[in-house]
Parts: sequence; C-alpha cells; structure tokens
Amino acid sequence: MQKVVGDPRKAFITGNEAVAWAALAAKAEIMFGYPITPQNEVMHYWTRLAPKYNRKFLQTEDELSAGFTTCGAIQAGKKAFTATAGPGNVLMQEPFGMAEAMRLPLLAVIQQRGGPSSGTVVYSQQEVTLTTFGGNGEGHRIVYSTSSHQEIFDYVIKGFNTAWKYRFPVFVLGDGYQAKMREPLEMYDPEDRGIEMVKPYALVGLDGRIGETREPQHLCNIYSLEEELYEVVLKIAGDYDAMTPEVVEYEEKECEDADIIVVSHGVVSRAADDAVKILRSQGIKAGYFRPITLRPFPQKQLREALAKSGAGKILIAESSYGQLERLTKQELYGETVPIKSLLMPGVGIVDSDIVNKVKSIM
Amino acid sequence: MSLIRVALAGEGGQGVQVVAEILTEAAYNEKKHTIYIPNFGLEQRGGVSVAFMQVSDEKIGAPKFHKADIVVALSERAVSRTLQYSDENTVYVYDSSFNISPDELPKKAKKIISLPAVEATKKELHPRVFNIVVMGAVLEFTKMVSFEMAKEALISKLAYKFEKDPKLKELNFKALELGKELAEQSLQEGGAGNG
Repeated sequence: MQKVVGDPRKAFITGNEAVAWAALAAKAEIMFGYPITPQNEVMHYWTRLAPKYNRKFLQTEDELSAGFTTCGAIQAGKKAFTATAGPGNVLMQEPFGMAEAMRLPLLAVIQQRGGPSSGTVVYSQQEVTLTTFGGNGEGHRIVYSTSSHQEIFDYVIKGFNTAWKYRFPVFVLGDGYQAKMREPLEMYDPEDRGIEMVKPYALVGLDGRIGETREPQHLCNIYSLEEELYEVVLKIAGDYDAMTPEVVEYEEKECEDADIIVVSHGVVSRAADDAVKILRSQGIKAGYFRPITLRPFPQKQLREALAKSGAGKILIAESSYGQLERLTKQELYGETVPIKSLLMPGVGIVDSDIVNKVKSIM
Repeated sequence: MSLIRVALAGEGGQGVQVVAEILTEAAYNEKKHTIYIPNFGLEQRGGVSVAFMQVSDEKIGAPKFHKADIVVALSERAVSRTLQYSDENTVYVYDSSFNISPDELPKKAKKIISLPAVEATKKELHPRVFNIVVMGAVLEFTKMVSFEMAKEALISKLAYKFEKDPKLKELNFKALELGKELAEQSLQEGGAGNG
C-alpha cells in the first residue's frame, strides 16, 4: 500500500479531515457511512481522498446499514471503519453490539452533537453513556476520548491497532467542536514513527477443515441455550479485563499535593488544564486528571491520584448532565471523597467556568 | 502576543467564514497558535453565520469562548445574535448603515464602533469585496496577524479566482486597504460613533 503522508507535515485542517487522513495513514481499506452533522466531512474528505489511494467508500441507506456493512467487511478481512454522531450513534448501537458479540475489530469515530434526539448539530459530550455502554450488552468496548486534532490523528491510528490486536470494537470519541474547528497538527505515516500497523485478517472463508486442521471460528451473535451465551459473555468479560491494563490511558498533572482534583475528558480537559494553571497561580492547589480511555476507565490510576494527593474534593466538569460523573462515581465506589460537578449539557466549558466553580466549593 | 478572541458574524453568503479561514490560515503560517470554529447551527441554511477565531503565541485551551475581545457584526440580525459575546473588555463593531437603535447595541462594551464599511465598499469599490474590506478592518482592529501575511493567505485562498480574472486581485487588495483605513479612522475618532 502506497505511503499517504510521506515526510511528517504540519497541517491546519478540521478534525473531520484529520480523521480521514489518519484512516488513510492507518491503511484503512473502506469506509461505510451515512451523512449526519457534525460528522459529514469525514465522509466527504474520505471520498475525495480514497480513490487516489485505491481505497473504497460505500454510502448506505441508513446508519444501521452502515454499521452492519462495516461488520461484514471486517469479517471478510478488510480494515473497515465508520463515523457517525447523535441519533446516528443511537442507530448504530445494534451493529456495534454485533461487533461486541462477534469480537469484530470495528473502528467508529463519533463526533458528539447535542441531545436528546436531534438536539443540536453543534457540540456536546452527551454520547458518553451511549458510546461506552450502549447496546444490549456489557460495554465491552474501548473508547478513546480525544481533546485535539493531534490526538484525533494519533488515536485513529492507534484505534485500528487496538481493534485488530484485541478484537474489541474501538471508538474515537470526538465532538462537534473537534470535528469542525481548524487547528494545527502534525500528520505522519505510522511506520515512520515505529508504529507497526496490525495487518487485517479474514474471519470467514478460512482455509483448512474445521476440527481437523483448524479450530472453528464461532462467529456468532445468537445462541440457542442460555448457558452457551453465559459462557461466551464470561469469556469476553475475562478477555476484556485481562486487556484493560494494556490499553487504559489517562493524563494526570499536579495531583501530588492537590487539595482538589478536576476530572474532565475530551475537549473540556483543555479548559481544565488552563483552569488548574490559573488556580495554582492564585495559590489554590488544584490537580488535573483526565481519562483518555473512558472504557476501560483508568480506575486504579484515579484512585492512586486521590490517595497520593489526599485531595479533599473532586470536581467533575463536562458538557453533559452527569454522564462522566456517573461513570466516575461507579468506578470510585468505596472512596469517600466528596464529588462535586460542573454540568453544562450541550455547551462549551471555558477555563473561567471551572475556576469559578472550584472557588465556590473550596 | 497574548490571546486574541474574535467573533465575526454576518448573513450566510456574506463571506464571513472565508474571512475567518484566510485570517487564521495567515496566523498559522506566521507560526502562531490559532483555532477557528465556524458556527454551524441550522442557520447555515440562510441566517446568521458566526466565525469564532482565537490567535495566540501560546497554546490555546478551550476551542470556544464566552466573551470576545472583538466582535464584528455585519448585519442587523448579526447584532442581536452577538450581543452575548460582548462584555466590558470587548470592542464591538457594527456597520453604520444598520437601522438600529442604541438600546439594541450591547449594554457592556469597552468601545462601540460603527464602521461605514457597506457604504464605502459600494461607493469606492464593489459590493462583492465587502467581506475583504471587513477582513482589512478586522486585521487593523486585532493585529492578530501581519498585514503582509494576511495578504499572502488571501492570494493563496483566492488564487483560482485571480487566475480567471486578474483584475479581481487588485480589487481585493484595494478592499483590504480600504478596510484597514476605515478601521484606522474609526479608532482615531475614538470610537465615539454610536450610530
């Protein structure tokens, strides 16, 4: 496959464009999609770029179909992906569930918009619950919450590898701001950075005779017996837990002596980072903790940050009405530290919002 | 340079987003940190269009802001849409041709400037370069990027149009200069013109 980026180069582009470039650089072979704002330009850029690099695109009749065709292509051994947002993310939960059940290395980029329902086409962090625990399953997914164009590029590349290495569906969770804004990033070909791309492999139509020269694949999303399903789900859960220490990611700053730890994710963490600096300059010992993987959640690391700092409070800041808060509380079960929150569903959060909130609760 | 936050608002089709693209591209080329977000509400289909820009020598945090250092409203509707971005530190600019009363202007602003951009563009140049006149004015008000760098970014953005019609290039340069002059004049007048 020909090189896409060549020498690393700086670019001033939108996040959606960064997704398309990263998917090309990661050697994705085909995208399936259905239009929805603010994700549209992922498709637009991909359809513009893909033919030049001999990659494919199919626009399906809806999101259900886009998700299932992605599942199908992956079974055939193609490195496939999709992208969606809002109500499209709701519809795609059924195919995402299939990917969970059949352990398909599916990659989906989610650009969160406002909700419930069609909400806004602009921005929110209201697809956290849906993306981490959507579908009628157990949330056996990996969800990277990005905060910049550089991270979008990096984690789309990494996401393909995580998916194909561990065979769990992987989500790169962005938002409308990240999708539509322009900011600088550096693009590169992963091999030039020593990142080896996991080669896709077919899951169906394999050579050999089942039971003689190879084991059966058991690509199955429905079972006749309760006990069969029980065994399968326990096996998936076991694999997921075993994988967790290898994929969990987080970012932590100034927590050693913090009196309060600000927990945020995605684009809000940029405001939190600035807020912690401002608070520190004013003599308030604030710390910063950001789960990069919302699933699996860096539970152990956040507990450690709490323990070493002895922080008396946590503030959770998010552009939703408590989705990160719920996630964090369940992961911190047993801790007694009071958890406060700054909940601004569907609107952006800036540093002064967090600074003022911290001061009001200290 | 510390952080400069700009909200530029106009009617869909006035070319607000193109101006923001060129200005932030220029800032990027000048190795500054910069972020540009178009507002992309349903208003995209006919309505007020807002461009949010930030430029700084340092890394920029949150992509959007609550209050701008400078707001430029290019239509009457854009004025009411952008009141929320103005506070006591904001330079608020609107066009002197608007038929609006003082109580429709922001209650809080460091300075309110009424700029005769529509009239001057019509009289001296051509309405089609109105957005570039505005770009010149924004440049002068914000100093977010050097005039030369902005000019270069303008050329690179509109190169395909200039090739087809070389006269357009001169017209655009004149527009940029005109906008700069209008802004200079308005600043010299101390921004007293409250419409």
